[in-house]
Amino acid sequence: MTPTVEFRAISKRFGDVRALEDVSMSVRQGEIHAVLGENGAGKTTLMRVLYGAVRPDAGEVLLDGRAHAFRNSAEAIHAGVGMVSQHYSIIPEITCLENLMLGAEPGFAIAPRPSIDRAEAIAQRMGFQFDWKARADTLSPGGAQKLEILKLLWRRSRILVLDEPTAMLSPDDADALYASLRQLAQDGATVLVVTHRTREVVTHCDRATVLRAGRVVASLDVKDADASTLAKHIIGHPLAELPPRPMTNASGPGLTLRSVWVKGDRGDDAVRGVDLRLEPGEVVGLAGVDGSGQRELFQALIGVRKIERGDVLVGDRSLAHAPSAQRIAAGIRLIPEDRHLEGVIERWSLEANAMLGLQRRQELRSGPWVATGARRRLAEEVVARFDTRFGKLSDPIASLSGGNQQRLVAARALARDAQVILAFQPARGLDLDSTQRVYNAIREACDHGACALVVSFDLDELLEYCGRVAAIYSGVLRSPGAGAERDRYAIGRLMVGADA
Amino acid sequence: MTKAFVGWRLIALYAGLALIVVLLLLGSGVQPATAGARLWEGAFGSPQAWRGTLRQMMPLLFAGLSVFIALRAGLFNIGAEGQLLIGALATAMTALTLQGPVGMVVGIVVGVLAGALWTLPAGLIKAYRGGHEVITTIMLNNIALLVTGALVAGPLKAPDKQMPTTPMLDTAARLPSLLRLESANGTTWTFGSPEDPGIRALGRLAFEMNLAIPLGVILIGAFGWWLGRSVRGYEVGAMGENPVAARFAGIDTRRTTVAALAASGGAAGLGGALLVLGQEGRFFAGFSPGYGFDALGVAILAGSSPLGIVPAAFVFGALNKGALSLQVIDVPKGITGVILGLLIVAFAAARVREARNDD
Amino acid sequence: MTDFVRIFLPTAVSLAAPLMLAAMGGYLSERSGVINIALEGKMLMAACAAALAASSSGNAAAGVAIGIVAALLMSGAHWLFTQVYRLDHIVSGMALNLVAVGGSNFLNKRFTDLSAMGQIPQLPLPVYYALAFTLPVALLVIATRTRPGLRMLAVGSDPAKSRQMGVEPLRVRLLGLVGTGLCTGLAGVLIVSNAGRFTDGMTGGKGYIALAALILGRWRPVPAAAAALLFGMFEALQIQFQGTALLGARLPSEFWLCIPYVVTIVAMAGLLGHSRAPAGLGKP
Repeated sequence: MTPTVEFRAISKRFGDVRALEDVSMSVRQGEIHAVLGENGAGKTTLMRVLYGAVRPDAGEVLLDGRAHAFRNSAEAIHAGVGMVSQHYSIIPEITCLENLMLGAEPGFAIAPRPSIDRAEAIAQRMGFQFDWKARADTLSPGGAQKLEILKLLWRRSRILVLDEPTAMLSPDDADALYASLRQLAQDGATVLVVTHRTREVVTHCDRATVLRAGRVVASLDVKDADASTLAKHIIGHPLAELPPRPMTNASGPGLTLRSVWVKGDRGDDAVRGVDLRLEPGEVVGLAGVDGSGQRELFQALIGVRKIERGDVLVGDRSLAHAPSAQRIAAGIRLIPEDRHLEGVIERWSLEANAMLGLQRRQELRSGPWVATGARRRLAEEVVARFDTRFGKLSDPIASLSGGNQQRLVAARALARDAQVILAFQPARGLDLDSTQRVYNAIREACDHGACALVVSFDLDELLEYCGRVAAIYSGVLRSPGAGAERDRYAIGRLMVGADA
Repeated sequence: MTKAFVGWRLIALYAGLALIVVLLLLGSGVQPATAGARLWEGAFGSPQAWRGTLRQMMPLLFAGLSVFIALRAGLFNIGAEGQLLIGALATAMTALTLQGPVGMVVGIVVGVLAGALWTLPAGLIKAYRGGHEVITTIMLNNIALLVTGALVAGPLKAPDKQMPTTPMLDTAARLPSLLRLESANGTTWTFGSPEDPGIRALGRLAFEMNLAIPLGVILIGAFGWWLGRSVRGYEVGAMGENPVAARFAGIDTRRTTVAALAASGGAAGLGGALLVLGQEGRFFAGFSPGYGFDALGVAILAGSSPLGIVPAAFVFGALNKGALSLQVIDVPKGITGVILGLLIVAFAAARVREARNDD
Repeated sequence: MTDFVRIFLPTAVSLAAPLMLAAMGGYLSERSGVINIALEGKMLMAACAAALAASSSGNAAAGVAIGIVAALLMSGAHWLFTQVYRLDHIVSGMALNLVAVGGSNFLNKRFTDLSAMGQIPQLPLPVYYALAFTLPVALLVIATRTRPGLRMLAVGSDPAKSRQMGVEPLRVRLLGLVGTGLCTGLAGVLIVSNAGRFTDGMTGGKGYIALAALILGRWRPVPAAAAALLFGMFEALQIQFQGTALLGARLPSEFWLCIPYVVTIVAMAGLLGHSRAPAGLGKP
């Protein structure tokens, strides 16, 4: 049987980085095929080749045995390929219906009635419900994911590509998503799922192709594999066990949140009465579906968003209404969510970036001037911490790979008197080895008296690295009951407010 | 997209822009070589020409610095024109009221403050309401033009003049010359005394340069030093490159925005003040032929270093001065506007390419 | 009352029509994501080209056509600079304005036949007025009920996501800017028709007032046109009250001319409700 999708010897380089090297794989009609690998293994790049968003340097893509060289996504869409990217492509300012149609409108004129009828028909087939005239920014993450799937059906895509589709979903929503995908596959669609979550693959997929560093390392039937075999393929070498944490009687100020309320962008209450105490030495994980208020909470703690009510204390010093500069001086440090946007200045050198946020510290200045020697020493300290790989300290930080930039940002947050570490997905873009090192460094800082609050959308990551995990749902913080502190499903239910 | 392709596209752009200029010159009914020679002659051909070029350059130095300061902070100050006008009028009125050297010094201070204050609506709206500073500064430009025009035609008009203008300032209230050349009978170089309107009226003044240009160069150098070496300069630059990251780094971007725009307006106001005190000696309707708009080009031409403002302002000044000589041979002065506009495009395109090569 | 109908209203409408057209031009480019501070320059070039073409050919239609072509060329350059060469939108706009001020002065000084002065044949003005008043409604329908309209709003909100959905921002913006060229071209022709001849800088800030109207109308066609109409009325008031005392004081005409700018700043200060620009403005 001719495979529906076949990649033949695809290679792609970005600058000096080999993203894909001689990648060949094939996908059969009606199957759910997992593309597995760590961050940076080349999964997304390969899918973008299929979707016409990246042009390979060598190799070809065949659909039903016919070679295609897509010049843009429009051509791939025309050939029946549909892709849902990790961050969705829903435009918040237009309605759900308009999002559904965009790029595949029924004709020059758009009559709302027949369009809604067709949208309803498609939604009913999947058992979804939508308010079609509502603006898309009213959708929950789960709703957005559903709308993305309907968009593929609207276009009559027969090859569905989903990039990390469950990254922002609760475990229950994720199960529901795979049920929908299974139904589509049974109706004749071909589904490719990009993921690094082996658990999902074992439960829901038919076949899997594993990529590592841009090469295919395994291609197998899922029924012949279990999660740990897959993990071994993904990582390549066994991970070092986390060293047990020594008991410390470290002293530090700790962090106290007293009934903190924060408003979101739309004036809604994004964080509602959060009480939390982080003792010195503690690493607390904050689990939750994306958009549950983590972002607003972190922004309020670092001081770029107003705290409406409640109090935040470092030690016994109240900082709820202090400007960010004072909070940084008090030892609050942030590893921000979006490195490009919030963490670095891309055109600036590594050296200048290493000082960002710390620029007002006494030892880095002499009067109103920057102390250049001290600045250089700080930069050297920061790049050395996680073996950031770089050319010269004067190179622009944009010349570094994403992972190396993240290393610098993490090291900077841990340098110089960090007392309260706020880490938003600190392992984003890092391979498992570096992930472990970053978490270890956070734990080490905590051994010396700091405390850390860590947000991740990957519950397993939090359970592995944090001493305690709490869940946030719709702005309310909840801790698992006694005995359920490390129960994946108990916390999962808290994440979706099921135990309220 | 390969680098070579980008390079070819850039060459195509330059060829296109050059073609427009050539067509323009051919269309002007004058041999391009003749026009070029005239332009050169008009800008550099004699001490008088040099004096004119420097006079055109001076306000561009300050207005260019104004736009440049804002750009470093990530803000587009399209309003340098309005700030320059307000500063100039404020200086003229202060100096007329107080008279003498005191009027001059206080007038400069008032001109700077007036220019800075004129940016406040834009700064506050940007910082606290998120309204784009380009729109507000454009609106403020138009208001400044109308308000200064109304004032100088109404309550502030010199009673004995037909035209809407303030009275002339005393020589004592004007900026002293650094260097003056009278060439009526031989050459007489003078230092230190202010430009004498009497000599100028007689057409004997050949070359004159006052403190304004050296002051501008020093100010530009000082700003560059401050930007590169001070903690506040680091913070302003960080905001200009990435305002979100700057906020996360503890920088108060609201106050920095208001302050940066005010500093920018102050520089433009200073330009207006020195234009009154050092060159025009009064304020009148139609005071600025668009220095504030040319300034945007100067700031872009300057590139990433503030010191680039000096040659950029010089080039613009020379073109503006040379254009006046072209008018004599019936080439409309608009030709330089076109050339300057295309020059901005050419430089901006090259800089986009630079920025792309970084990543 | 009859004076109002006979004199004030026609004046107001003839002053407002170019503003409304230009504001619609601004709508088409800003909604597709191109910041447009070059409305002024496009109108000026159109006015100059229309005057030259009409007076040299003696044909009004030729004047209109050439005027529109001039604005289309400017818009095409705008597209090339901002989309192909990825120049900053504000820098491109400023450069185009400089080119327009200089270029119109050059062309006018160089090619105007002095003996034919004041001989610009005109299309019947009601044609333009009808356009100015129907265009906003037409654009509203296009934006909400057609494919190009939907794509324009999508690209103006988020070009990157639109590209993922197979919509090419480059093409959508080209279409938007062509629309801007048509609208500003007509507006420029209208200005020169009203005046009877071309003078340097004759658009006198109307492009900026149109931009102000667009902002005041929160980037929606009908309210933006209404704001433009209002601004036209202020200008007419200024002509009406010129030299007459009002409330015991004689207000200079500049007072009335200032009003659109001041109102815009007040609106942007959030004193007239919140105004939000299209999210994709200026993004590649």
